[in-house]
Amino acid sequence: MRRKMGKPIVPVLGAMLAGLLAGCATDAVPKDALRLPESSLEVRSLQTRKLAAPSETAILTATIAVLQDMEFNIDRVEKPLGVISASKTSDADDQGEKTGLFFLDLLCAAGGGSDCDNMSTAKDKQRLFLTMVVLPSLERSGEYSVRVTIQRIIYDKEDRVRIRERIKAPEIYQKVFANLRQSLAIEVNQS
Amino acid sequence: MISKFHLLPGLLLFAGCATTTPVDIEGSSTQLESRQIQTRQYDTLDKALTMRSAVATLQDLGFTIDQADAELGVITATRYDQYTMRMTVTVVQRGNERVSVRANARIGENPVTDAETYQDFFVALDKAMFLTLQHID
Repeated sequence: MRRKMGKPIVPVLGAMLAGLLAGCATDAVPKDALRLPESSLEVRSLQTRKLAAPSETAILTATIAVLQDMEFNIDRVEKPLGVISASKTSDADDQGEKTGLFFLDLLCAAGGGSDCDNMSTAKDKQRLFLTMVVLPSLERSGEYSVRVTIQRIIYDKEDRVRIRERIKAPEIYQKVFANLRQSLAIEVNQS
Repeated sequence: MISKFHLLPGLLLFAGCATTTPVDIEGSSTQLESRQIQTRQYDTLDKALTMRSAVATLQDLGFTIDQADAELGVITATRYDQYTMRMTVTVVQRGNERVSVRANARIGENPVTDAETYQDFFVALDKAMFLTLQHID
């Protein structure tokens, strides 16, 4: 009797052990985790503009104002380093997002995924993280170097992380700098 | 009669990944070992310009800055990718001529302990410092 019951338990135990080991497995450090990408200079110039301003306070005020215009919350400011950290959570359901998520749906379905939520109609949200670094140019006085970097996490309606990414689209950065120029003009006119 | 083999799967399930979880206060590597691979000394730029380069390096590597303190020389940054990577960089003035930079990183719950990854970070920092020196930033 005992022998009869012992046999089927072996594969079950094996499967459970394998499952447990998989659960305990830790991710190895990716080889290129901190390797500078070849395109880094190109990306840096995409994210950077040199702007003339009457003072450091004026350009910092204009920068903070533009972040407020874009509905970000300022998390931290460290003036001596010119670092402004900001974030916001918003709806990810604009047309562009829907298109992106729709393609993800297609890819998921094409890959034979069984858990392909209809993401294109889900009420997704995104959390954006932004860093602005505003520093006096080392080249010329009266000129300031402004660099912005943005990342985001997209969550689905179940609050599961869908996408974690750095924002690379040039038009996003162009838009931020266009807004900043406008904000700086208002700041200069008001002072 | 219940065979004792029937209880094993249940026990395994309850055992999970860890039975008693010690408080991981010390980390996994020795103090001296981790300091060695995580630290470089520079005599090229002062503390302020080194911090400026360190912030730029983190941006070059796709991080956003969580917080920075110029006085204490501490920068904390996060990168959201396939994984979440968090870094702390400290910049300390050593005497009049040298600046010491230490970086440490974690990916998710795991500390980054391999020397090559830190080597890559310092290669990136060297490039950023060169650009700062050349006033191209």
